[in-house]
Amino acid sequence: MKTLQRVLAIVGGAFLIGTVQAVVFGPVTLGPANLTAGTDKPKGNPDRPSADPIPENPDPPIDRPVATYTGKADPLLDAPVPEGSLTLREAKELWDAAAYFIDARHEHEFEAGHIQYAAFLESKLFDTDIARANAVMDSIPLDGTIVLYCVGGECDASKNTAALLEQYGYTDLRIMGAGYEHWVAAGFETATGSDGGTP
Amino acid sequence: MSGTKPGAKLWAESILLQLPLRVGLGGVFAFAAYNKIGSTQSFANAIKGFRIVDADKYGHLIVTAAYTMPWIEMIAGVLLVLGLWSRASAVAIQIMLVAFIVALIHVILDESISADCSCFGDMNLVCESSVGWCQVIRNSILLVPCSYLVWHQGGLLALDRVFRDKSGDNDPRWTVDRE
Repeated sequence: MKTLQRVLAIVGGAFLIGTVQAVVFGPVTLGPANLTAGTDKPKGNPDRPSADPIPENPDPPIDRPVATYTGKADPLLDAPVPEGSLTLREAKELWDAAAYFIDARHEHEFEAGHIQYAAFLESKLFDTDIARANAVMDSIPLDGTIVLYCVGGECDASKNTAALLEQYGYTDLRIMGAGYEHWVAAGFETATGSDGGTP
Repeated sequence: MSGTKPGAKLWAESILLQLPLRVGLGGVFAFAAYNKIGSTQSFANAIKGFRIVDADKYGHLIVTAAYTMPWIEMIAGVLLVLGLWSRASAVAIQIMLVAFIVALIHVILDESISADCSCFGDMNLVCESSVGWCQVIRNSILLVPCSYLVWHQGGLLALDRVFRDKSGDNDPRWTVDRE
């Protein structure tokens, strides 16, 4: 009997502390509710303040240098990646096709260098600065092709951000299996700073 | 009346089994809670992604769970590490583990759901972030030490022994006074 009382005390205490946390730090929002994959709904509150929106991918695409491939397997471009993720070659082809790129690494890493035109959207941003995350999402249509990357290998940051974007209704999310350093090593286009990747 | 000193077997059990299990299990849950408390928005989105309840109708339940569950984990985890209210803490963790397992199986069996576990916030322990049988197995394994602690409590090195009550709720092997 005492055990049951103590369990209830733990739950009650947790509820009280959680309530205080919600009051002090503000409640969370659940985002667009009941999203269905493939349904293109307007996102968010149009009156909300935007913060550092990323530049829209131009249509038609701007004159990006297109990689030329020889057709032979390249140890860097075609290096094995986790199942279901993009090789560096596939990612570059999507970049050439003006897909949206999202950098899921830490902000200081993004500022030090990122894929050109990529937007910074670390999964933690949904907690720490939802307005900024919303601004990034507002720049990307729900059916847009999005390539997410981090440091590659066992990095799960891309997957975590992709999972959050999926909950907001994005349907074409792809993970770049290779990391940013591989992109740099291949000599592909990069940018620095926190300007959202503007060249 | 004077208390009988515990035997070497009980000391060995406490030092070699109960202490590491308490600290390990409690530490894992406190760590998981720490990661979630700092990422309540992500955790709320993750709970919503599980589609246990309709987010349109019961969004308030999701938000409540997002704020409460990490603190249950934190309180129970810390109490378990300290060995205070060991049995109650282990029961709380046990209930949560069973609930997590049921929720995970719900997601796995419904192929239309693609959810992120968020079991440890943005971090992953053993398993990948996306929900799969790995998390079910991991949580099932965690149930074993948890059940053991419910059964045997925190041991001789737990604070329960210092603040032991006479209600008979504690393990009689360590609390009974014999003359």
